[in-house]
Amino acid sequence: MTPRGVAVAILLAVGVGVELFCCVGVLVMRDLYDKLHYTAPATTIGSLAIAAAVVVQESFSQAGIKAILVFLILLVTNPVLSHATARAARVRELGHWEPRPRRRRPRRDRGQEGVP
Amino acid sequence: MSQWVVASVALLAGLLPCAVVCLRGDACSRLVGLEMAGTVDTLVLVLLAEVYQRAIYFDLAVALALLSFAGGMVFARFLERFL
Repeated sequence: MTPRGVAVAILLAVGVGVELFCCVGVLVMRDLYDKLHYTAPATTIGSLAIAAAVVVQESFSQAGIKAILVFLILLVTNPVLSHATARAARVRELGHWEPRPRRRRPRRDRGQEGVP
Repeated sequence: MSQWVVASVALLAGLLPCAVVCLRGDACSRLVGLEMAGTVDTLVLVLLAEVYQRAIYFDLAVALALLSFAGGMVFARFLERFL
């Protein structure tokens, strides 16, 4: 096996392993907000490893550049998508997505401590 | 070349947990399963384009990455506002 083949095999193993781990994590986690965390490594580490495998195999040809393009699209769009999903869940839960009103702490009266 | 075939078939197996997530839970959890399935599908198309040695097939992966983002945004917006 050539060194290039070994590098491709390692990158593919890492990418596919991370993807499968994230799929199982999405299945296992109980809450929606916990599930959403598992979409992040799938689009950063997993897609980076697979795009890197294609680039190692093909160098910067048309295929390699398009694989990098796929990686960049996934990298940019996934945070937007998970933010929108979490916001939708919170709106369905509470009716709005602003933070809950903070409970005001009882204020100490300043006049007692000695006015300068 | 066979390692690409093995990787794409192994990655296809990752669609099963996503399908299970899509089939149970409340609506937003199902949406998370759909987004995950879109990511996995995009990467499977990248691997299959490498298997078939056609550079033009990578365009399918690019199109699916863009369209799954658009679809997820539409679903999220509808769940937030209208449903």
